[in-house]
Amino acid sequence: MAELPIWQYDTLFLILVLLFGITALAMQNLMAAAIVFGAYSFLMCLIWTTMGAVDVAFTEAAVGAGVSTVFIFATIYNTGVCAKPKNPRLAFKLFAGLICFVTGAFLLSALSDFPNWGDPYSPVNSTISPYYIENTIRDTHVPNIVTTVLADYRGFDTLLETAVVFIACIAIYSILRVDAAKSKVVEPDIVTSPPAYDPTDSLIIRQASRIMVPFMQIFALYVIAHGHYSPGGGFQGGVILGASIILLCISFDLKYVLRQWTEKKIMILTSLGVLIFATVGLACVIMGGEYLNYEVLDPILPGDKAYARSHAILLVEIGVGITVMFSMIGIYINLASNGRFDRGL
Amino acid sequence: MEEFIDKFNYVLVVILMMTGLWSMLAQNNLIKKCIGMAIFQTGIILFFISIGAKNNALIPILTETANHTYNDPNVNEVTNPLTQILMLTAIVVGVATLGVGLALAQKVHQQNDSFDEDEILNNQTK
Repeated sequence: MAELPIWQYDTLFLILVLLFGITALAMQNLMAAAIVFGAYSFLMCLIWTTMGAVDVAFTEAAVGAGVSTVFIFATIYNTGVCAKPKNPRLAFKLFAGLICFVTGAFLLSALSDFPNWGDPYSPVNSTISPYYIENTIRDTHVPNIVTTVLADYRGFDTLLETAVVFIACIAIYSILRVDAAKSKVVEPDIVTSPPAYDPTDSLIIRQASRIMVPFMQIFALYVIAHGHYSPGGGFQGGVILGASIILLCISFDLKYVLRQWTEKKIMILTSLGVLIFATVGLACVIMGGEYLNYEVLDPILPGDKAYARSHAILLVEIGVGITVMFSMIGIYINLASNGRFDRGL
Repeated sequence: MEEFIDKFNYVLVVILMMTGLWSMLAQNNLIKKCIGMAIFQTGIILFFISIGAKNNALIPILTETANHTYNDPNVNEVTNPLTQILMLTAIVVGVATLGVGLALAQKVHQQNDSFDEDEILNNQTK
């Protein structure tokens, strides 16, 4: 044991992460808890970068530190920030703590069976994964192994994960969406609690985001299109595209954005992404191969069989990007306007 | 002690997961429960990513370096891509489920005017 087998920075970050997580749960003010949770996600993103998981870090930076914090904000905006418990129920908390402690002790008792951190010869690293590292270039000409496995070798799973995002979006619509014109229920508590939006008070923010949004969108398109050669892909690019529209919703007005992106358009485009993905799979069947076996698309797409797979990955990533983008926008608008699509954060 | 240092990541995974679990069980506030769920999830993600990490390895994007060529990579110098992909989609699905959780919490708040579990239960039994 001459050299330390773990990364010192990681140890530091891990301890910091734990502190941030506990702080986020201990905060009484929900707004502060959401901000600390954003910082927690960002530290996680640093940890994953140091462990070599750049794609995961990218996703976490866009999703965990960005969009999910905004979702929590949107909920708090409609409900209020304080979380002071009326009766603390100390005995129950201690009991729950005991349950967690015992479960954790059982999990830790298996510690000696795990391979060391960073061991390249552990079962996880030496059985299946070398195949993908060695054959990705030969099969698809794509250097980013993560993108290849995501959209090609493991295409079924990604198709269904995209469908899960789509279904979650529909679920949120069905939970929250109310037609403001038809709804008889008046909810004055929501109208009075947040400070009213004043369109004249944030000139700097509006102008700054007006300049930023096009660059964000170009960067997101680059992330989707260049996902074969660099960290990124449909999920990350889609989330950034969604975040650019969410930024417009926050800095301007929800109505301003809804004039361009009507509810109908958002719903159609959310399903269009899954449809593109599924159609690419169906095209493979029509061309005489298995579902999502891109190799048989060789006659339609330029290049040899490997390049056909590479191009099909791009098509699939575009589908994923569209679904994720509009799901994020749909979820945000529902949460921020309490399902009424009239005003928001 | 040496084992503890070698496997520090797993220790932290367990602590994070149990923190999230405790929050889901014991916190009264529904938003706190959602945050606890997200922390539990990052614990699992950390487990997968750290089990696939390799000492002195490069990111899973192939390049030409001194030790390996583009077509014939040195497996021990590239981080395990499989665990990363599993977690990549898990993060995106995680934010979608977080959104569903928050939407449910918001609906509950609409009807009970509170995030506090005890108050909600009192309203229900009244």
